[in-house]
Amino acid sequence: MKLICGIGPLRSAPRAGLTLSRSGHLSHLIPVLLAWSFIGVSSLQAQQSKPTEYEVKATYLYNFGKFVEWPAMATAANHDPFLICVLGKDPFGASLDAAIAGEAINGERVLAKRISKPQEALNCRVLFISSSEEAQLKEILTTLEKTSVLTVSDMPQFTRRGGMIQFVPEASRVRFEVNLTVAERAGLTLSSQLLKVAISVRRNSQPGD
Amino acid sequence: MLRVGGHSITKKLTRMNMLVSGAALLLACLAFVAYDVLAFRQAVVHNLSIQAQIAGSNSVSALLFNDPREVEKTLSALKAAPNIVSALIYTPEGQPFAAYWRDRGGQAPPLPAIPTGQTEAHWFKDGRVVLVHSIVFQGKPTGIVYMQRDLKDINERSARYAGIAAIVLLMCLLAALQFSSIFRKSVADPIVNLADLARTVSRDKDYSVRAALTGSRDELATLIETFNEMLAQIQERDGALQKAHNELEQRVQERTAELAATNKELEAFSYSVSHDLRAPLRGIDGFSLALLEDYADKLDADGKDYLHRVRAATQRMGILIDDLLSLSRVTRTEMRLEKADLGLIARSVAEELQKTQPERRAEFRIEEDLGAFVDSHLIRITLENLLGNAWKFTSKRESACIEFGRTQRDGGFTYYVRDDGAGFDPTYADRLFGAFQRLHDKNDFPGTGVGLATVQRIIHRHGGRIWAESAVERGATFYFTLMETRHRGA
Repeated sequence: MKLICGIGPLRSAPRAGLTLSRSGHLSHLIPVLLAWSFIGVSSLQAQQSKPTEYEVKATYLYNFGKFVEWPAMATAANHDPFLICVLGKDPFGASLDAAIAGEAINGERVLAKRISKPQEALNCRVLFISSSEEAQLKEILTTLEKTSVLTVSDMPQFTRRGGMIQFVPEASRVRFEVNLTVAERAGLTLSSQLLKVAISVRRNSQPGD
Repeated sequence: MLRVGGHSITKKLTRMNMLVSGAALLLACLAFVAYDVLAFRQAVVHNLSIQAQIAGSNSVSALLFNDPREVEKTLSALKAAPNIVSALIYTPEGQPFAAYWRDRGGQAPPLPAIPTGQTEAHWFKDGRVVLVHSIVFQGKPTGIVYMQRDLKDINERSARYAGIAAIVLLMCLLAALQFSSIFRKSVADPIVNLADLARTVSRDKDYSVRAALTGSRDELATLIETFNEMLAQIQERDGALQKAHNELEQRVQERTAELAATNKELEAFSYSVSHDLRAPLRGIDGFSLALLEDYADKLDADGKDYLHRVRAATQRMGILIDDLLSLSRVTRTEMRLEKADLGLIARSVAEELQKTQPERRAEFRIEEDLGAFVDSHLIRITLENLLGNAWKFTSKRESACIEFGRTQRDGGFTYYVRDDGAGFDPTYADRLFGAFQRLHDKNDFPGTGVGLATVQRIIHRHGGRIWAESAVERGATFYFTLMETRHRGA
């Protein structure tokens, strides 16, 4: 149970003495810079220019991990690192590595891994299925059927077709929809917090629909 | 008059009571209200903190997945808390993310800095409390909650409490006023009664009264008992004193009566003696004269000389008896006081003296207008004696000066007769006024030694005093006073 994710950590004290600061005040520039340097270079870049679509998506991939609870079996098998895998043609480039650099979820290091076959995804917690794999989607999902891998993709109809989370562009923002039934079948518990911000939550679709 | 004094201590006690209980209650009420306001403020901050934490937790996913509308939906639940003026969520970088306004939308306020090392801070300002809470998720700052709450309810509560405190205070003071009558009965009333009694005793000198005892055994009872004891002692002493006084008075009266009787007897005796001595003396003188006239041829020179001496002695004895009778009369005669001019009497006496020896060069300086209230017959005898003495003791001088006048001394008049004659040795001044006392040889200055004794008696009968000052060959001054009231009356 040590890997439970959720909103619980709010009560715990910040691990590092991070200083929050309002922007625009010179006197607070130094703590701000310190904080940013701690958070990571990608964040710094993200703040200064409007983040690209895949920069946002990379951050979301990592953030999903915070709101999902994996079954104890799955976590016991591959404890540390917390793997975020990209299957197929990688659309993120360096932005994914930048987004997760130095990050941890529930004390587990977060690492990115590029894979080309669904069989390699068994150790992954989060799997991004690139649009390049759209043709093999059915096979891929079948391969992962008995595993507890959170599947994410931005290909259209992904949740309808048995995927768990699908990115949906909305105006200038990136949003997502969830297929809760599939996730629950895989033994994953999605936090209500996550479902709250999803565009829609499906509950009854069958794989291969 | 008595009651006014009595009321003051009662008033003081009542006022003291009210003041003490009022002050105690006021302090208690102030402490109570202050504590309550403080506690309520703390509770308000605590509740606000909880609300901020809830809002923060509920906004984590929305913050991470950039969904401000979701946060606004969450924040709009704050409508249920009418005291929340505004609630805003900021990104960790301080950019406004989502906002809730109770009244109508406003500008996002500048975000106050949270002190380093804390996740939350609050400020009371302008009747509002501002709370800033840092949202930490998975050990990372995820956003900031800003909440502003008005303090109308605190102020209303304070006003309500102040009202209640005022009512309680008023009721307690009324109760204290009621209770103070108990104090009055047990403390003020006995004191007031005691004061009244003390005043009565002091005014009427009535030491037979006693203060009523109170039931309790306290200092007041001791005071009353001691006061009563003191009264008893004073009464006892007063009685003893009165008794002693009465006894003394009686004894004095007895003695006076005895003395007066003895004096009267003595005077009667000396009068009769003097009177009865005259007859045989007249016989001796008469027959001595008969011998000298009828048997002159049968007597030789020595015989005639002896008979002359017998006659001189009888004549002297006759004068002596006259003086004694005069002295006796001075004491026995009734005083008839009237207004008289002592100067006038003195001048008439002086004239008579000058007639006896017209060849003498003597000057009388007598003050005019010396009115006094006296028995003029007795005063004449006094002046005859004093001026006569002066005349007599200046007789050896070529020229003499005799003064009679009056001076003011010790608030009263003092009369004096001054001469520049032989004077006397002041050592014997106290013997001057005794009967038959003489300071000079009878061959130098003739006299019986009864005159000044007579003068002293007359002055004493006038309630005055007589004394003399002198030195040998330096003249003498006789002073006398008369009873003061007589002068005033004169």
